[in-house]
Amino acid sequence: MDYILRRWRGRTLEDWVVDSVNMFLLLLVLIVTLYPFYYILIISFNEGTDAARGGIYFWPRKFTLDNYETFLNDHKWRIGFLVSSARTIVGTLLGVLFTSLVAYGLAYKQLIFKKVYFPIIIVAMYFSGGLIPYYVVLRELQLLNTFAVYVIPTMLNLFFLLIAVSFFNDIPDELQESAKIDGANDLTIFYKIILPVSKPLLATMSLFLGVGQWNSWMDSAYFVRNENLRTLTYRMIEIINQSTMPIDPVGSAIASSMNTTTTFSIQITAMVVAILPIICVYPFLQKHFVKGVMLGAVKG
Amino acid sequence: MKANTGAISNKNTKARMTWKQFKRQVYPQSFVLLGVLFLVIFSYVPMFGIIMAFKDYKITSGVQGIFTSDWVGLKYFSEFVNDYKFGDLVRNTLVISFLKIVFAFPIPILFAVMLNELRGMVFKRIVQTVSYLPHFISWVVVLGLAYVFFSAQDGIINTLLMTLNVIDKPLDVLTNPDKFWGLAVMSAIWKEAGWWTIIFLAAIAGINPAMYEAAQLDGAGRLKRIWHITLPGIQGAVIVVLVMSIGSLLGGGLVGSNFEQSFLLGNSVNSDTSEIVQTYAFKVGLAEGRFAYAAAIDLVQSVISVFLIFTSNYIAKKLSGQGLF
Repeated sequence: MDYILRRWRGRTLEDWVVDSVNMFLLLLVLIVTLYPFYYILIISFNEGTDAARGGIYFWPRKFTLDNYETFLNDHKWRIGFLVSSARTIVGTLLGVLFTSLVAYGLAYKQLIFKKVYFPIIIVAMYFSGGLIPYYVVLRELQLLNTFAVYVIPTMLNLFFLLIAVSFFNDIPDELQESAKIDGANDLTIFYKIILPVSKPLLATMSLFLGVGQWNSWMDSAYFVRNENLRTLTYRMIEIINQSTMPIDPVGSAIASSMNTTTTFSIQITAMVVAILPIICVYPFLQKHFVKGVMLGAVKG
Repeated sequence: MKANTGAISNKNTKARMTWKQFKRQVYPQSFVLLGVLFLVIFSYVPMFGIIMAFKDYKITSGVQGIFTSDWVGLKYFSEFVNDYKFGDLVRNTLVISFLKIVFAFPIPILFAVMLNELRGMVFKRIVQTVSYLPHFISWVVVLGLAYVFFSAQDGIINTLLMTLNVIDKPLDVLTNPDKFWGLAVMSAIWKEAGWWTIIFLAAIAGINPAMYEAAQLDGAGRLKRIWHITLPGIQGAVIVVLVMSIGSLLGGGLVGSNFEQSFLLGNSVNSDTSEIVQTYAFKVGLAEGRFAYAAAIDLVQSVISVFLIFTSNYIAKKLSGQGLF
């Protein structure tokens, strides 16, 4: 009580006004950011045909799991979900392993040609040939229209490569030397010693690469034609584009006469499904944020 | 003569020494070389491949064809300048980028200052945690949310405003060329402002608290303290971030995403204002198969970007003695 009094005493009129206005505006920011997520969540749990009548703002009116059931039973959505999950798992694993392997090599003490390797990396970080020549290379490698196009070109993340190099440099040499005396070669040292002590680094990398994989859509839109390789994000683009057009043959009409869902309610359910994994890892992501954005800023 | 052979054998021993050293570190060397090989394939070949913009290139000739096909000089560049879309594309690219610098750049600074003025630590944490959540959400989902909220048929905003009789026919935000620029700036702010606030909050945290106490003793109120201590205190960070945003101006600056937005939020109805150089390059290249022409268009944008990076860095150095490189 005393503490609160002390904090409130001595507040001038200006303080009061500044605090109130500030509080109000930030509350507004909070609502504007959070409400869209909340809204699609409640709509995804509401009967689609009922939601089409409008007027749902705070709570599902006719609760149902139909939307999720239809989503999972729909061939296209299910494939999309599986492809997205698979690319996230495989792509993250490959990315983390390959990036840290290369970083381990670069962090090796007395590595000769170091002065050649680092400029090669920095130049690749800042310059690119743009999308068209890149596409030609993917075509040449026969990566187009394969699952590999999702996970191979993303194997080496240069930003995390540099972070990993500095992380490995900080690992005490004694660890490696004792293993060497025991006759371990560098590959063994890498996965028996370096990787286990680098768990925080690997966790951060996995989270960021995983989120990137899960969210990406451009490769699915441009490098893939096979309908069975489309990602969840691509499916969403497809369905939203269909329904944004003013002349809309299907419109938001009932998608299936079997149950209560509509195209719109399924689309919203897909969005919830696309956001859910991110929300789940969000607390962990957050732990590593500030460092990430600072380094990202330096990198530009 | 003697000195000569000495030099040669010296060279030989040096090479042999290097080779010996290399063999001793063959594992780490091979790891690194794998990475270099990867970069050669996925970064350097495309980088040199950009010369296709000056060549009569056909996709059927593969990567090799980039280097063997005939030169055509600036043919594709003049074709682009004479393209009937050229004016619109350049205008859209520049206008969207400048609007973002003007409107989206100050928001994270303002937001950081506001958060810093909050007294309740719990509320501050909540607001901050929530504010950068959209950064991790795919642009595709943001497109979906825009549709859910602004669509003329199902959009919650239109339904709400119609029920309340504020409007009598739905507002057309998503398929109206006049609304696209606003939509682009607003959605970029919604998605990225919270994320960039982190960097300014970190800068504010570096300000010596004693300065605030001293100012308070001298009778400076809240706003005065913000104006005379907080803002000058983060000036360095602001300049660095501003230089970066100008460097990546054509990509959308700080909030980036010009490409994603034009591609996802753009459609055939609003393409007059939504189509930018990069999405056009995509379209003529990958959808219409005119690869060399598309590469030339892309190159125009890259050259302007590189020019902007160096210019903004130069200006920043002149103004504040501090640049990025």
